[in-house]
Amino acid sequence: MSVSDKYAIELRDTHIYYGAFRAVKAVNVGIEKNKITAFIGPSGCGKSTVLRSLNRMNDLIAGSRTEGEVLFLGQNIYAPDVDAVQVRRRIGMVFQKPNPFPKSIYENIAYGPRINGWRGSKAEMDELVERALRGASLWNDVKDDLQKSGLALSGGQQQRLCIARALAVEPEVILMDEPCSALDPLSTLKIEELMFELRQRYTIAIVTHNMQQAARASDYTAFFLMDSDRAGEIIEYGPTERLFQNPNDERTEQYISGRFG
Amino acid sequence: MSAELTQPTSGERSSGTLPEGEDIRKNVAGRQRRGKIYQGLLFATTLIAIFILGLLLFNVINDAFGGVAIQSTTEEETLTGGRPLDELSQPELVLLLEENLRSRVLGNLNREQPLAERDAAALIDLINAELIQPELVEIYTLTEYLFNREAILAELAEDYPRAELEFKSWVSGDFVTEPMSSQPVDAGVRTALFGTLWMLAMTVVIAFPLGIGAAIFIEEYEDAKPFDERKAWGRFLNKSLVRINSLIGLNIYNLSGVPSIIYGILGLAIFVRALEPLTSGSLFGVGGDATANGRTIIAASMTMALLILPIVIISSQEAVRAVPSSLRQASYGLGATKWQTVSRIVLPNALPGILTGTILAMSRAIGETAPLIVVGASTFIVTDPSGPFSKFTALPIQIYNWTSRPQDEFRAIAAAAIIVLLVLLLSVNAVAIIIRNNLRAKRVS
Repeated sequence: MSVSDKYAIELRDTHIYYGAFRAVKAVNVGIEKNKITAFIGPSGCGKSTVLRSLNRMNDLIAGSRTEGEVLFLGQNIYAPDVDAVQVRRRIGMVFQKPNPFPKSIYENIAYGPRINGWRGSKAEMDELVERALRGASLWNDVKDDLQKSGLALSGGQQQRLCIARALAVEPEVILMDEPCSALDPLSTLKIEELMFELRQRYTIAIVTHNMQQAARASDYTAFFLMDSDRAGEIIEYGPTERLFQNPNDERTEQYISGRFG
Repeated sequence: MSAELTQPTSGERSSGTLPEGEDIRKNVAGRQRRGKIYQGLLFATTLIAIFILGLLLFNVINDAFGGVAIQSTTEEETLTGGRPLDELSQPELVLLLEENLRSRVLGNLNREQPLAERDAAALIDLINAELIQPELVEIYTLTEYLFNREAILAELAEDYPRAELEFKSWVSGDFVTEPMSSQPVDAGVRTALFGTLWMLAMTVVIAFPLGIGAAIFIEEYEDAKPFDERKAWGRFLNKSLVRINSLIGLNIYNLSGVPSIIYGILGLAIFVRALEPLTSGSLFGVGGDATANGRTIIAASMTMALLILPIVIISSQEAVRAVPSSLRQASYGLGATKWQTVSRIVLPNALPGILTGTILAMSRAIGETAPLIVVGASTFIVTDPSGPFSKFTALPIQIYNWTSRPQDEFRAIAAAAIIVLLVLLLSVNAVAIIIRNNLRAKRVS
């Protein structure tokens, strides 16, 4: 298996700047296909910045700049001829706070396909909406009233609606930025179960502050830490089980055993 | 040594003291008392504001309603022998006119249309105008009419023994539907009302798209880089654009504070004079009144649009800014372009807020007088405006014009026109608020 076949996304010597400030330095990491990769580390160490660089969401922040390469299926998404819009269509995102549109559940799902030039009949759209909702294990909760506002759902349901919305444009990778930090333990559990199901068809990268979540719900883990210039870097990366049970770096061990951070 | 002095050891108490025991209760009671005093002051300020508003309303109503003393040349009873006019048949009315009018007047009337062919209502009007000739000899405000009746009647008995005191509401259906007249009793605000409505509608049509468009550009495209960043000229143009954008954003607040008369002068110079071919309609070959010369509804609306543009921009900017950035992120995250995000997520969610702000702007446009005077709204005009290129007058102009007349009657109809203006203002606002609430309900449910 060649390198570019194994990884969905590969960062090569990636540096990310906000204006003159270097937020992330020299990240080299591969995100394996059909696996869940977790980014852990203390606040402000650049986990979310790296995650958002994977589908060029950082472009929306004025003054941000990315150096190095971010390869998606072997192609650099920061190459001059690549449009960020086209990247985001294939690498979807779920955010920290559930952010459904103030529209009906149906319209929330249909929005993505429509803006991306989807063509089809009403019945086909109904089918697509159902498939996306089933994919996010939300169908049984909402099938009776798809015209209800997305905002009327509970926090956990809203987050699953956001996942369904991301699935509707059929991405290859789903980025999740602390998707459970605003949810109760039960809702969190449901999202984690969902992630395991999604893994069969999608590649997932997740940022989490919850160490147990990383340990239970990921295949690979990258541990981030700030250096003395407050630039984030990856201290250790490896299979989750190995990293949690037998970390190579002393700082990783201190962090996962709760001695700081 | 010095380190010991500057760093108190933990557990050491600070030099001040917090109240203890009974002092806690006293201290809290004191703080609550002070809170109560301020609460009372705040209530007083509210009361004063309401009182002043009430005074204003009272003043307007006091002038717009009240008593009138009417004296006729000939009494109806003496003319008809005690029977009311409207009980007389048509031939009887004709006879009445033929008996009482001078032959020359009668001849003129018959030449226009023979009296026998006219219907009863027309004949009664004729009798009123030619024979009874009721004349308004004195008017009184509402308070005078209600609380000072004795004195009024005594005064009337002395000055105009045949006069009758009646209650009159100067605001009436006729007042709204009659055109302008030099006789205050006959004058109405119809032309002014149409002028105001035309102007308001056109102002909205001009100012809203411009204002909302500018607000969206300033808020959403502030760091847009439309030119090629890899070339020197592209970088320069992009940088200039950002600078212009921030300069505009800064100055809009100042523009909203510019006195309205200055906008009027600007409007006179640009829309009335420089763009005369356009604003008089001659460019399109539809020149309405030859006498309008650019002093038309369209020129006034453009001036008014200029005046409210800063308000529309600022309030729209705030509404756009209030759309949570998480919604924009969600949209971009699904692969939406900037324009798709703006048009499908930002704008619909900002619209209720935009409308709230623009309602304020509309209220201002309805009430502005100074720019209209400068731009050249007519003060006396009896024909309804027929389109954007016609001469016009507006309610505030009419009020201003009437209040500057010496006669009491004009003061009364000015007050009546103020009531019409207030009602118009409130109804326009009410419509806008209903539209906004509908939009808001649609987005959330």
